[in-house]
Amino acid sequence: MLDKLKTDFDEIVKLVKKAPEPLQETAFKIILEHWFMANMTPLTPPPPPNNPPAGSGSPVPLGGVLDGVKPFLTANGITTIILEKVFHPIGAGAQLLASSIPGNGKTNQLISLSLLLCVKQALESGSFTCTLKELRELAVHYDCYDSPNFSSTLKNNKSFYKPREKGADLELSGPGLKKVGEIIKSIAAGE
Amino acid sequence: MDVAQALEDAIEELVLIQKEINKLKTVSVSGQVLRKRIKDAHKKWLPVAGVLETSSIVDNSEVQEVSDAWTAMMKLANNASSKKLYKVQLKTIITKTESELLHKYIKGSAIQTIGDTLRRLVQPIADPEILKYLDESIRCAESNCVRASVVLAWCAVAYLVHRKLTSLGIPALNAEFAKMKADKGLMFRAFSKDYIFSTDLDVQEAADAHLILLCRFLMFLDDTQYKHLKSALDLRNGCGHPTGYQPDPMKLQAYYADITQLVLLNSKFT
Repeated sequence: MLDKLKTDFDEIVKLVKKAPEPLQETAFKIILEHWFMANMTPLTPPPPPNNPPAGSGSPVPLGGVLDGVKPFLTANGITTIILEKVFHPIGAGAQLLASSIPGNGKTNQLISLSLLLCVKQALESGSFTCTLKELRELAVHYDCYDSPNFSSTLKNNKSFYKPREKGADLELSGPGLKKVGEIIKSIAAGE
Repeated sequence: MDVAQALEDAIEELVLIQKEINKLKTVSVSGQVLRKRIKDAHKKWLPVAGVLETSSIVDNSEVQEVSDAWTAMMKLANNASSKKLYKVQLKTIITKTESELLHKYIKGSAIQTIGDTLRRLVQPIADPEILKYLDESIRCAESNCVRASVVLAWCAVAYLVHRKLTSLGIPALNAEFAKMKADKGLMFRAFSKDYIFSTDLDVQEAADAHLILLCRFLMFLDDTQYKHLKSALDLRNGCGHPTGYQPDPMKLQAYYADITQLVLLNSKFT
C-alpha cells in the first residue's frame, strides 16, 4: 500500500493545488482520507476454500449473520449492505428500520410486516418465525392493524407460512421466504 | 385465554352480524337464527370481559361501557326489535371493543413484556454505574412510563460519553473541541461553540449533541453510528421536554437496541 501511496502522492498534490489556497489543507485531508478508504485492505481472514469465488453477482460476505440465515440471503441475492438498510443491527437485538411498511392498504402491509418480522426473528435466533403477539403489537405501531380482518388476512395468504393452527405462531414457507426477499430488496432500493 | 384473539374473533363476528342486519329488508330483526347468533356472540364475550376486568391493562370503565352495550343488545334480541336500535348498539360495541379494548390491550401487553426484552438487550452490561440508570429506566417502562424510560436510559449513554471524553484529559478535550470548531468538513462546519473546560464536572454542562459530535470527530463513532446515536438523542430530547409525542413500547425497544449497540456495549466507550 505504501508503494501505491508513493506513486499516487504526486497526483494528489497536483489535485490539491487546483483548489484555492485557503482550502488546500482541507482538500488534501479529504483526498487522503478517500485514498485510504479506497486502498485499505480489510483485515479479514481469507475465505475458506469451499466458498464460491467472488465475481460478478457474488454477494458480499455475510459477516455477523447467523448461519441459519445465510442460505436465505444467498438464495435471494441479499448482501449485508442490503440487509443493513432494513434491519439494524443484523444480529441479536435486530430491529426493523423501515419507518413505514410497504404495500397498498392495511392487508398488504400486514402481510409484509409479518414476513419482515420472521426475518427479524431469524437474525436473532436463526428461525424464521413470528408470534402473533409481536405481529399485533407492531401492526398497531405501524398503523396496519385491521382487527376484524387480522385472522382472515393471514388465512388468505397462508401460502407464505407453513401450515399452522389458528392462533399459532407464523413460520415462513418457501414462497414466504421468496416474497420477503423481494420486500427487503425493494425497501433497500428505496421503492 | 388469548384475549387479543378472542376480541378479534368477537369483532369479526359482530361485523358479519352487522352486514346481515344491513341486508334485511324488514324494519325489525325478527328472525330466530340471527337473534340466536347474537346471543351466542354474547356468551363468548362474557369470559373475555371477566379476564379484562381482573387485568389492569385496560380501564374497567371501558369494559363496563362495552358490557352495557351488550346488555342493551341482548334485550333487543329477546324480541323482534328495530334494526336501527341494533345498528346503534353494534356500532358502539365494535368501535369501543376495537379502539378502547383491543388496541389498548395490545399496547398494554407489550408493556407487560417490555421489561424482559430490554433486560435481554442490556444483559451483557456489568458496570454497576450504568446498570443503576438502566434498571430504573426499565422499571419505568414496566410501569408504562415510556418517556421517563427513554430519558433515564440516555443518562447511561451520557455517563459513558462523559467518562470517555474526560479520560482524554481536560486540556486535550479543550484542544479537540477547538480543532472540531476549526474543521470545515461537512459534518462539523455548523459547530461554532467555544468550550473551555476547567474540570471534569464542566463537561456535564456541554450539550450532549456537541459531545456526541466530538465522538464522531474523534472517530469513536463512524458516520452511520453517529446518525443513529443522534436519532436516539432526538428521541431523548422529545421525551425530556413538554411535547405531544408519546413513543410506544416498540419505539423504546428500538431505542434500547441502538444505544446498547452504539455506546453501552461499544468497546470504544466501555
